[in-house]
Amino acid sequence: MECGIDAPSRVKMKMATLNIGKEFSIDPVGRYYSDSDASGEKFREEILRKKINALSENEKLTIILDDGVEAYGSSFLTEGFAGMVKYGYITSQELLGKIDIQFSDEDFFFYKEKVIQYIKEAKYNSEEYQSTK
Amino acid sequence: MKKITIKQREYDVKKGIEFRRGKAKKLPLCNRSRVNKYTDHAREWIDHHFHEALGLFINKNKAIITLPRVMNFSSEYDTTILYVTAIRILTDNNSGKPSGFLKLQRVNFNELEKISTSAALVLTAELSKWDDSIIQRLRPLVKDWKPHIVKQFYELGFFDLFKNNPLQGYELEKDEKSNLRLVKYIKGECGDSKKARLLREEVCTIVGDSIDKWTFLRSGLDEAITNVTQHAYPDKNNVSTVDKNWYLTGSYNKSKNILKVVFYDQGVGIPKTLPTSGVWERVQQILYKLPSFEQKNDEMLLKAAVELDRTSTGANDRGKGLHDLLEFIKKRGNGNLSIISRRGLYRFTLKDSDAKIKTVGFENPLLGTLIIWSVALTHPAE
Repeated sequence: MECGIDAPSRVKMKMATLNIGKEFSIDPVGRYYSDSDASGEKFREEILRKKINALSENEKLTIILDDGVEAYGSSFLTEGFAGMVKYGYITSQELLGKIDIQFSDEDFFFYKEKVIQYIKEAKYNSEEYQSTK
Repeated sequence: MKKITIKQREYDVKKGIEFRRGKAKKLPLCNRSRVNKYTDHAREWIDHHFHEALGLFINKNKAIITLPRVMNFSSEYDTTILYVTAIRILTDNNSGKPSGFLKLQRVNFNELEKISTSAALVLTAELSKWDDSIIQRLRPLVKDWKPHIVKQFYELGFFDLFKNNPLQGYELEKDEKSNLRLVKYIKGECGDSKKARLLREEVCTIVGDSIDKWTFLRSGLDEAITNVTQHAYPDKNNVSTVDKNWYLTGSYNKSKNILKVVFYDQGVGIPKTLPTSGVWERVQQILYKLPSFEQKNDEMLLKAAVELDRTSTGANDRGKGLHDLLEFIKKRGNGNLSIISRRGLYRFTLKDSDAKIKTVGFENPLLGTLIIWSVALTHPAE
């Protein structure tokens, strides 16, 4: 006799993506709007924050670091990623739970580690955001 | 044009020596009485250094500088600084000089026999700044230059600065014995980091292949350019937008298999920007361990600024940029990074996992910041 009850299915994580080189800039550099036209502040406020806010409950954001991008400086990474925590948009733990950083160039593992380090070190809501635009 | 005679020159040098020995009250200066008497830093500098080995000839209020035989920022640091500073001071339009003050008329390259990549870049930057200030009216006269100097500056792109390029149509002779290849210099403004991307292709061309761990060099360059944008030219210095530049080049020594990348800006220098930066409090925490007389010297300030991230507790997300400059050397496992800013030199050397740090304080400052990465390539073409 069939029971009619399906075997429990695994909760599937949906994945959104953010390809920094294609969707933002292949030359991300600097901290503030005044530093460059592809700054960490611009990345955070106009791209990353919106992508994170658009995620559903079980969804993760896959961030592709190295498609056309040559490098990242610490100014960009701290302001672009850790800034999400510093300005109180999300806690470190929540942010790290929502992103999955990927790359094909093994040298970019260094930048992934830096992103995670800076997010962990950031103090939640420690500064009030004032746009430098 | 009345030229200074050899006899007059000999008289001036003799009087200069007497001055140094305390036997003369004033330094001789042609037509001194015709120059308005006032004191400022530029005037004092010229008076102070005139009696040194500065190849400076003066006629009325026009000065001609003859560059020395050798220029570099290592063994010939003092001489090289003297000349680039003289060019800066004599071409600086912002110092409020009266109309009768000395102006630079010409820079002679005739006696120059050897110049390092970094000295050539700094010299190019100073002459570029001068050329910008006189609306591109400079004209190089290369007739009496040493041929290998012409070649070196041609490869650097020096002659492209000038509207009247004397080497238009010049064909670089293939010199099989020549070991040094240069990248044409790249000039950018504040925030103009995309131009740093050009360097990779140019370096690959002169080396013959890609460079391992390039991403870490580019990361350091991006931070250097960000530092220029944020700190090098503070508003209070009234530097015009046209003058807020950075300069970049590379060279490859084939026989030694060494790649050098050189970055230069003409800003106020790292030690001067620290007190107003977001990291001053943390820098002071490092400096307080030193004797008080050392705490304000450029050498110690520079060292503290570079090593800030190493000592950082993470309480502040600022101050990591200078530390980024070291990563290219660290990831390659060999090489050295030199930073000269104002009166300080910081050199990080890595060889066979053995890291050494050296700092030096100079009497005479470099008016800006010079960063030099130097690495030995593993294979002739990596």
